[in-house]
This record gives sequence, C-alpha cells and structure tokens, in this order.
Amino acid sequence: MSTFEQLQEVMAPALNVSADTITPTSAQSNLAAWDSLGHVNLMVALEDAFGIELQIEDFSKLGSVRAILEYLKSQGVE
Amino acid sequence: MNSSAKRDNDILPSLLGASSGRELRYRLSATATQLTLVQAQTLSRHLESLPEATIGLRLGIVHTYTSDLLDPWLRFEALRQGLHADIYHAPYGITIQAAQPDSDLVAHAPDVTLLLMQWEDLHPDLSRPIGRLVGESRSGLAAQVVENLTALLSKFRDSVPGEIVLTLLPSLLPPGLGEFDSRSEASESAWRAGVKAALAGNLRGRLPGTRLLDLDETLMQLGRQSFFDLRFWYSSRFPFSPLASRELARRVMALGAIIKLPKAKVIALDADNTLWGGIVGEDGMNGIALGPDYPGNVFVAFQRRLLDFQQRGFILTLCSKNNPEDVLQVLHEHPHQLLREEHFAALRINWAPKTENLRSLAEELNVGLDSFVFIDDSDHECLAVHSELPHIEVVKTPERPLAIPSCLDRVARLEVLTLTEEDAQKTELYVQERRRRDLAAGNSDPTAYLHSLNMQMRIRFDDPSALGRLAQLTQKTNQFNLTTRRYSEADVQRFIEANDWVVAHFSLADIFGDAGIVGLALVHLRADMTAELDTFLMSCRVIGRAAESAFLDALLRRLCERGIRSMRAYFLPTAKNALVRDFLPRHGFVFQDDDSYLRDLIVAPPADENVHPIRIDAA
Repeated sequence: MSTFEQLQEVMAPALNVSADTITPTSAQSNLAAWDSLGHVNLMVALEDAFGIELQIEDFSKLGSVRAILEYLKSQGVE
Repeated sequence: MNSSAKRDNDILPSLLGASSGRELRYRLSATATQLTLVQAQTLSRHLESLPEATIGLRLGIVHTYTSDLLDPWLRFEALRQGLHADIYHAPYGITIQAAQPDSDLVAHAPDVTLLLMQWEDLHPDLSRPIGRLVGESRSGLAAQVVENLTALLSKFRDSVPGEIVLTLLPSLLPPGLGEFDSRSEASESAWRAGVKAALAGNLRGRLPGTRLLDLDETLMQLGRQSFFDLRFWYSSRFPFSPLASRELARRVMALGAIIKLPKAKVIALDADNTLWGGIVGEDGMNGIALGPDYPGNVFVAFQRRLLDFQQRGFILTLCSKNNPEDVLQVLHEHPHQLLREEHFAALRINWAPKTENLRSLAEELNVGLDSFVFIDDSDHECLAVHSELPHIEVVKTPERPLAIPSCLDRVARLEVLTLTEEDAQKTELYVQERRRRDLAAGNSDPTAYLHSLNMQMRIRFDDPSALGRLAQLTQKTNQFNLTTRRYSEADVQRFIEANDWVVAHFSLADIFGDAGIVGLALVHLRADMTAELDTFLMSCRVIGRAAESAFLDALLRRLCERGIRSMRAYFLPTAKNALVRDFLPRHGFVFQDDDSYLRDLIVAPPADENVHPIRIDAA
C-alpha cells in the first residue's frame, strides 16, 4: 500500500468522509470536511497511525495532502 | 487509567467481528486496551450500523473552552453503554445566556447538561496569582466564588431539565508556590478543595440533580502530563489529551447510563480466583492466595473494594461452584478474609449451573435479572451467563492479578447519583427479610403472622427531606409499580412544592428492623375535586406485608379530608409489573372505557386504620 493510500485510510475516518474523497490535491481550502475540528482530529490520527509526534508548529503547515506526504517522507515514512 | 493499559493495533478486527452492540461491549469490557481516536471512530460507525436499538441520550454542553473535539469520544462512550448521544454545544464562552428559558440549550431538552468551565471564569481575581492571599481576603474570595457558582447553577436548575454537571478545568501548572504550597496558609490546592467542599454543600442542600464532576480525580488518575495536550490547548484552546478526552467522555456517559438504563442492584461474585487466588476445593483453606503477600494482597484489596460497593448501596451475593463447607470455612475462619457470611445478602454454593443460581438469587432477593452484575474468572461461566441471561452485565475477572482490585471501577452502572440511609444498610435489610421468611414458614395463619410482626408505618406528606430517596424509588422500582414513571430529584421537588400535587411516602418498621422509606404515591389534584394517581409504588423488600393496602387507605383518608370525591388511576403494564395487575380492581377501583380505573370515594370510602395489621403514624 502506498503512503498516499495509507493516508487515505487514516484521513477518511478522521474527517468523516469516504476514502475516495481524499485525492492527492485535497487541502483544507478545497475540502469542507477538513475544518478546524477535522484538522485537530487528523493531527491526532496521523500521530496514531504513523507513530510520529507532531510539534505545535507543524499543525498549521500540514493543511494539504501534499504537505502531509512531504512531511511523512521527511520523517522516514515511505 | 490502568497501568496495564496498552495500545494494540490488532484489537480492532476482533472487535469489529461483534455482531451486536452488546457483544462488542462484552468484548471491550474484557480488555484494558487504550483506543486511538481513529479506532474509536471506526468502532462507533460499526456500532451505529448494527440493527440493535439504542436509547437516546440528549447532552447539552456549555463551555468556556473548545468542546466539540470531545464529540467522537462522547459518541463512542455513549454507544458503548448502548446509548445514542444527541449532542448540542452552546455558543463558545456564553454560560449565563444558555440558562435563559428561551435558549437553544433549553430547547434541546437535555437529559444531561455538561458545564465545562475554568476557575478563571468564576471570579476576576482568579486570573491572577493567589499565592499571597491569606486571612479574610482568602476566605472572602472563596465565599464569593461559591456564591457565584451557586447562583449560576441555580439559574440552570430553574430553566434546564435533566442532570446538570459542573466541571472545573484543573490548572495546567502545579501551584504557584510550588513545593511550599502544601505548607503555606495561602495554599492554592487547599483553597480550591475548600471551594469544592462548600459548593458541594450548597448542591446537596439546595440544588437537586446538580453535581460536580471532579476533573481533579481524572487528573490524579492520569497525571498532569497525560491529562493535558498543551499543543491543542495553545493552538485550539482544547485542553485534553485523547486519553483524558475518553476518560471525561466515559464519566459523562456513565452518568447517562445510570439515568437511562435499568439500575444495577446486585453484585454476584464468583469465589475461586475472584475473591482469592487458587481453588479452595483443591488447595485447601491454607493453600489459597489471600493475605499480606503478593498475590494474596491483591485479593484482600479487591475485597476491600467490594465493601466500598456495598457502602454505595449494592448488595453482594456469592455464586460459586464448590462444596459449601469449603467456601464457608474460608468465610468463617480465614484470618485475611474480609467478606464474611453476613456481608452477603444471599449465597449459592453448589454445583448447579450458575445461570440457574442467578435466577434463584433474583427470585430470593425479589429483583430483576437486569439488576445483576456478575463477575467470574472463567471464560466458560462468563460466556454461559452472557449468552443465556442477556440482561445480566458480565465482567470477567482480569487475568493479571494487578488489574483485579479496580476491575469494577469502570462499570458505569455501579456508580450512584445519590446515597440514602436505606442504601447503607441494604444487606442487613435482606438478612432481616430472611429471618422474616423463617417466621412466616413457621406460622400457618398469614394474618397471625402479619400481626406478630408488630408493624409500624410512618406516613409523611410533601416532605422535602426525603427527596433523594423518593426520586430513587421512582428510578429503581420495577415490580410493585403501577405506572413506572421515572422522576428526577428536581421533578419530585416540583411535585412537593406544587399545591395541586400530593407527595406521600411511607417507611415501615417491624420486630426485625426498620426498612426505611419504601413506598411512594404521587397524586395530582384536579380543580373538580377529583384526584389522579400518577404514581403508586412500593419497594420489593416489603412485598407481602399488606403495607400497600394500609398506605392506600391512609392516603385516601387524607384526600377525603381535603374534599376529594373520586380517584382515577392507571395500570401501565411493563415486562416486570405483572405483580400489580390486579391491585386496582382489588382495591375498589372500577375499570373504565378509556382504560383508566376509577374509585368513587363516596360509594367506596377508604377503610379505617384498624382493619390493617399495621399501626399508622401519619403526620
């Protein structure tokens, strides 16, 4: 399973949408379910699913699928 | 949180295999596993997809910090109790407006209203350090804070139905004076403890159905570092870690379960590997683990905990597959056994199936099977009871001894909202009942038996001092109950204060002891001088002593004095109240076309006191 597919699996329940709603270009700006509540949910879910620890500074940077994938790559998640 | 709790990514598939909510709850109860948010959400969706009917719970949240992030946990913990949460969040930061009679909160008609507040909200001085506050300024501030809080809660109590639950967010940091705090006359911890105690006094005295859910307790359980997630606090003003979120949600929904689900009354205990380590029939009394050393000390701790539950008002019973003499020897003679024979309201020590013993315990104690919590270390016994007696809540004794003493602490229905004098002496009351049965068995004439009990009934009308017990009776009484209407303390208080309602209760004493307050009638008086019997109930522990007839006559005599000419009553059948199906026709009520019963008090006036085998004191 690619990292993107894994991310879909994590994001869908966190944002309460179906997995195919999440595309490589999804972002807070174009996905209504990705509101501030959904975002905090998602941050918790990312930590649980990928075994990472996010800093408060990361929260505002991880507002798109692209940014999250880049971040995961930088953390050695491939 | 249990120290043994661990994350387990493999738990989900087995949990998702559950085909009913009850099945899932059973599987979940057997695990101390922490769940991640995503796991909880996945399980919630699974539970919601199951066909099983859930009971609605309407929750209102008034908050001065972010609260909607609690929702997934609240939903999950509600579903785990078989409840479906319908949650309304008041607008952020507004507290007093939500208490207005026309507020959206009131329109939501919550069963439970949760107030998420911070100490800083209670008084402007609390946003500054109070480490130099001593003497009168210190006590004055405490008094003002208690007064402000009491006033706020009174406003909610006046307009919002249901239970009102206040929480105060603990400090993110240890006391301002650090290590010196505990020694200082300006101690912040001591000051807060004083405020909480004074507030609790006001809640008890003046505000029924209003309570403090003490988050300091959860803080202690988890530790400050695990309780808060500072990242979410400083970025989104949401204070709780996932662990604390779930724990808060669990506590709120435990309250929901107590309000909405059948009351638990009885804890049925296995003996071997539950009350002590090992098997007494094989290891002998001196070979079982029970005493000052591990693992015996774990079982001593659990027995102590069980005595705590007895003080909460739960009845302990023993249900053990053993030779009676082996178990009784431990109960009578083992130096470290805390639970002696007199601590058990009833015992079943034999080789019959436990399901059969549980049925006969229910019969002897005169309670429904749904009021049982059964605890046993055997998978086989747990599964048998779980599948054959679906109304019984089953808890499996944890395999790890360290987890045993706290294994009942998270069973929601073993929490209590009130504690009455009757609760404290409940086991003793059942022991009295056992003696009463022995007397009846030796007495062939039932009337002579009743007279030999030398019963005295004390009837009181509109007496607010019994509020907690009266509400509890409406909540718990299933069998001798004509209408099974459940009322909160606030409801009963309204009936007591209303001029067109009569709230009558009675307590009953006899040669074996005082049963306490055991009967209640709620009567609605109409302008046309007729009365409607809204509620008529009696605790199962005094069934068979003719008390109901004496009470009804005394009530009707009082109503006749007030000029009431007839009484209308209803029998609303449930799965459990067949016992009173004939009560109304047997007491002069005539069935009407509209399914009600009517007793014309001119044609069928109440009987005199002396026709009953009970002396009556009606004030």
